[in-house]
This record gives sequence, C-alpha cells and structure tokens, in this order.
Amino acid sequence: MAARKRPSPTPISTKPDPSDQKSTRNTPDNNAFHLPPPKLGSIFVISTLLCSLHLYLLCSHYTVDAELKRPILINAALSLVGFFVTLKMIPVAARYVLRRNMFGFDINKRGTPQGEVKVPESLGIVVGVVFLVVAIIFQYFNFTEDSNWLVEYNAALASICFMILLGFVDDVLDVPWRVKLVLPSFATLPLLMAYAGHTTIVIPKPLVAYVGLEVLDLGRIYKLYMGLLAVFCTNSINIHAGLNGLEIGQTVVTAAAILIHNVMQIGSSTDPEYHQAHAFSIYLTQPLMATSLALLAFNWYPSSVFVGDTYTVFAGMTMAVVGILGHFSETLLIFFLPQVLNFLLSLPQLAGIVKCPRHRLPRFDPATGLLTGTKDGTLVNVYLRLFGPRSEKSLCIHLLAFQALACAFCFLLRHFLAGWYK
Amino acid sequence: MFGFDINKRGTPQGEVKVPESLGIVVGIVFLIVAIIFQFFNFTEDSVWLVEYNAALASICFMILLGFVDDVLDVPWRVKLLLPSFATLPLLMAYAGHTTIVIPKPLVSYVGLEILDLGRIYKLYMALLAVFCTNSINIHAGLNGLEIGQTVVIAAAILIHNVMQIGASVDSEIRQAHAFSIYLTQPLMATSLAMLAFNWYPSAVFVGDTYTVFAGMTMAVVGILGHFSETLLIFFLPQVLNFLLSLPQLAGIVKCPRHRLPKFDPATGLLTGTKDGTLVNVYLRIFGRKSEKSLCIHLLVFQALACAFCFLLRHFLAGWYK
Repeated sequence: MAARKRPSPTPISTKPDPSDQKSTRNTPDNNAFHLPPPKLGSIFVISTLLCSLHLYLLCSHYTVDAELKRPILINAALSLVGFFVTLKMIPVAARYVLRRNMFGFDINKRGTPQGEVKVPESLGIVVGVVFLVVAIIFQYFNFTEDSNWLVEYNAALASICFMILLGFVDDVLDVPWRVKLVLPSFATLPLLMAYAGHTTIVIPKPLVAYVGLEVLDLGRIYKLYMGLLAVFCTNSINIHAGLNGLEIGQTVVTAAAILIHNVMQIGSSTDPEYHQAHAFSIYLTQPLMATSLALLAFNWYPSSVFVGDTYTVFAGMTMAVVGILGHFSETLLIFFLPQVLNFLLSLPQLAGIVKCPRHRLPRFDPATGLLTGTKDGTLVNVYLRLFGPRSEKSLCIHLLAFQALACAFCFLLRHFLAGWYK
Repeated sequence: MFGFDINKRGTPQGEVKVPESLGIVVGIVFLIVAIIFQFFNFTEDSVWLVEYNAALASICFMILLGFVDDVLDVPWRVKLLLPSFATLPLLMAYAGHTTIVIPKPLVSYVGLEILDLGRIYKLYMALLAVFCTNSINIHAGLNGLEIGQTVVIAAAILIHNVMQIGASVDSEIRQAHAFSIYLTQPLMATSLAMLAFNWYPSAVFVGDTYTVFAGMTMAVVGILGHFSETLLIFFLPQVLNFLLSLPQLAGIVKCPRHRLPKFDPATGLLTGTKDGTLVNVYLRIFGRKSEKSLCIHLLVFQALACAFCFLLRHFLAGWYK
C-alpha cells in the first residue's frame, strides 16, 4: 500500500478546509481496474508485415498439394480464433493476476508517472493455455488415429506443456536459477525420445575433402545437440528482454521467418516426408504467432501487461520443438543470431566472472525519456553504446529490425550456399 | 500461498499458516519420473509411445490448470470446461475398441453380445476423465483424505493390473495393464511422500493441483489400460459423494463456500452438518468423531469399496464377461 504524504498544514488558516481533505483522500477502487485498450492498430500493421509473405507463398506463389494446403489453412483459421480468444482473455486474466499481487513496475519508466503503475505480470499463461487448446483441437482436423506423427505431436505437446508449467511455477515461486537450468532439460526428453529422424549431418561440400565423408552420423551426440538447443532457445529469449514488446517482438519476427522457411521448403521440394516435417512446424508455429500477436497488442510500448517467464520459456521451447522435429535446427540457430550474440555477450556475467546485477537494463533518464547503455553485457546495452541513447520504443524497433535482418541474412546464406552446402 | 486449517479453528493449531498447493511438487516429480522411464522401456517406434505421450500431455495440462487455479482462483465454470480439453489428447490417442461386452444375463434382451458404441464410448471416456478429475476435489477437507483416497485406489489399481497380467495370456491385455502400472506406481510413490507431511495433523495442504492431477492420472490409466468400468467401481465413495453433492452443486440447495463439518474446539470432535457430502453424512449416521478417526474410517470405506469391486468381478466372471 503506497503511503500517502499529507500536505503540510498551512500556518495561515486554522480551520481545515473540507475541500482540501476530499482532494487528498484517494481510495483506489480495485474493482474498477481496467486494462488500457489493446493497440490493435499497431498489431494489424505488424501482423500484416509478418504473416502476409508466407500466406502469399503458400496460396499463390507455390503450387502446394491440396491435401497439404487444407490442414495448413484450417490451422491458420484455428490460430485466428486463438488470437481473438487470447485478446478477450488477457484483460480478464490481468484482473485475477493483480488480485494475487503478481505485478511489476516498469523500471524503464522510473521517475515518470507511468513508473508508478502496477503492471500485471505473467500474462504468458493465457497465451500458453490458449496455444495448448488450439494445438490439441487441431489434432482432430489432421491426423488419423494411427499416424506416425501422433507420437511426435504428442511429445511436442508434452514438452511445451511441461515448459509452460515450469515457467509459470517460476513466475509464481521465483525458483533459483540452477533449478531453472536443470528442469527444462527434462522437458526436452519426450522430444528426444520421439525424434525418429536421422541423426546424421551433411558435411558442407567445401569441407568434404578434409573430413573424408559426405554424411556423418552423430548418433547420440546429435540428440545431445538437440537437448542443448532446446535449453538454449528456452533461456535465450528470457535474457534478451527488458524493453516493452521485445520478448514477444523477437518471437513473432522469428516465427514469421520460420513460417516463410517452412512454406519455401514445402514449395520447392517433392519429398513427402520433407513436406510433412515442415507442415508439422507450421501447425505449431501459426498458433504461436497468433496468440503472441494478441498478447503483443497489450504488451507493445507502452506495456499494459508483462509477459513473464511463462511466455519466454514457452516461446523458446515451441521454436526449439519445431526446429528439431521439422529438421531445420541449423536454420533456426541462424534465425536466433541476435539471441546467440546476446548470450555470448552475457557469458562473462552469467559465469560470474564479471559482477552480475539483478537487472541488466540500460539507464533511463526521466528528463529526456532516453535510455543510455550501461557496461552490462547485453545486446540492448551494446547497441545503445554503439549507436547512442534512444527512446525505449525506438530501441525496440531497431532491435526487431536487427532480428529481421538476421533472418533475411539466413535466407541469403542458404540461397548462396545451396549449391555448396547441401 | 497458505491456508488456515478450518477443522482446527479455535485451537492454537488453527492459527498456523499452512503452506498450500504442494501438489505441484508431486506433479513435477511424477512427470520427470514418467519422462525418464520412457528411456527404459520403449523403443523409438513403439505404438505405445503415442499413448504414453498423450497421457503425459493430458496429465501435464491438468497439473498446469490445477496450479493456475490454485494461484489465480479461477471461476468454477472454467474449472469444469478446461479439463475437457485436457482429455482430448487422450481420446485422440485411444486406439482401442469402443465396444462394450453385454453382461450375459442381458444378452437376450439386447439381442447382441457385443455393442459398438463408437463415438459415444469416447464421450463416456471424456466424461469419466472430467468426473475423476473433479470428484477427488469435492471429497476432501479432512487432513490426509485427498491423498489417502488416492493411494488406496492406486493400490487397488495396481493389484487389479497384476492380477490381470497374471491371469491372462493375451499380450495386448498385458501391455495395457503394464502401461497402467507404469503410471500408477509413480503416482503412488510421490503421493506417499506428500502424505508424510499431509497426514493428520497436516503440515502442508495439497491444493487443487494435487487433486486434479491424481484424478486425471487415474482416469488416464483406466482409459488406456481398458479397465474404466472397474475404475468406476473403485470410485464408489466418490460417486456416492458426487450424488450426495448434486443438489448443492446444481444450486437447488444453497451451497456454502466450504461444506465442512462443524468443529468443536472443546471436545475436538467433528459433527455432521446438513451439507450433502459423504463426510457429513457419515458423521450424521455414525455420530461425532475426531478428524483423524473420521479420515481413517473413510479410507477404510474406500478400501471396502475396492474389495467389493474385486468380489463383484470374481462372482460375475462367469456371468459378466
């Protein structure tokens, strides 16, 4: 409860002025809590930018088999429903969450009136639950009861669900970071068990002469790599955060790249197993995209809700899952270039070699409204130190543009190395 | 996240803050054990992997919903609706028959020996899951009752599974019952660990997290192990409690927040109120009891219901199937 400072008594008047007392009395009415309306305009623009390309490629540019196109479009429709359900449920959940005192203060607005507002936390739980329901229902529109994909799909659901659970438990109970590192490893196990694909890697053609092999079977080491990839994705979004809209923003940009990659691979390949792998990825990435955009409507600058660890670990795990089961994990890693950079920059502090404060956020100046980079090893701070102080919104947009550039770079790389690489 | 022990109000114990929702520990450890076990049993392309992963997904979703409910206190309509989604992976993965065997005495009336219920059977499975998930939750309120009923039923399930494995030569039946054992043993073990803290007098409370997790796990093994009718008879006290509760749940009779018996701090005994629960009805029939004694009585009743089920199966074996 905020302590209210009573105005010091004026020496002139001896009689207390009733109107003065009324104006100082300010009883907050919790029942009247209303979330600011979602920023639907911005979301419409962002959604169009992100989703139009892969849908265009799917429907116009490539001739995709109708048997494959139909489930993808059904999935898109279900995802759209998920978008609206999430949009509707967030204000409801925000009330419940505030009632249980799960809120934070926006550190990047400290010193301004906005910095005093209690922002509901962990709204990622709404995204997670709606995602799971959409993914569960979609099963009925695509798979027969004895399809091979059911194993991988259910393993994916189990892994993602376990991650959401761990994320939410962390948001509520604030578990120690060692636990945060160990438990997700267990969440990846159903995935590793279900992965029935090859564990071979194709040696890039220029290196074949040195290695002596064209294809190298890594066996269990490949499974270890998959496990590490999942743990990495799960945590990397969490540490590349702290600006309004950055967590969801990086997720939807990467998800758009994933969808474009999936559609391109479906369009340019004739192998049905290949088609299925990338379709599988689409079936989980479209709901991720849709539900995330709904949350972004509230989380985009200035944030009315915070996403919590629940969202970041859920998003990371989902993308790791589709990358692994869709057999494009190397491509995924390049999409994650900014996150990799951020991780490398953070290593000294994470390892304890350099002192690591609780928050490694840039410094906010209430007078100018600009952020200045500190000496902390994060992409956010390094970017500010390289390119000068920026407003929070502008910085976030820059970083998301950087994310998009990394994804574009990946597509370019694949295009040029296509002859060389695979 | 804590509660006060209402059945000790008026005594010093009633002032103690009891930690809530410790079922989350049981749930997470159960999931980890179940996940790790996969590596020791199934090869990568076994058919059982589908059902096992569907089971894990359903149970995990239930634990998530239970914990969200414990933290946010969701409205009861949501509590009824969401578990239905949690059962869907299960229904999708269920590749068994949807036929029921008509009990022999009724064959002449029905005209068939085997009746294929198709989708109605799947609906029955979904309702069974929703029922199990919620029924433990409402047959609660005494220290140790929630976990107690679970471990008694789990023991009965394990005995039934082993008996079926021993008495059958069909490898599919054996696999089904082994599947049930693979999930029920971890349930039993983790639950017993929490019972060590939750038994009278409770040092921790289990929360909705535990009750919905336990209910869902037992529904899962009953469905995928193909012994759901047997499971229902094990759940006789829960069915009774549900029927007794119907008027209040439906709103016909006024339903208070807690339908617990009345505690008298002077004598330390519980007296049954007019609420429609097995706990209260038992007290009204058999007189006042201490909380511990009442809990033990109800658990014995649970064990008797399970024993009755075994007896029933034994005698109807020739008649029934």
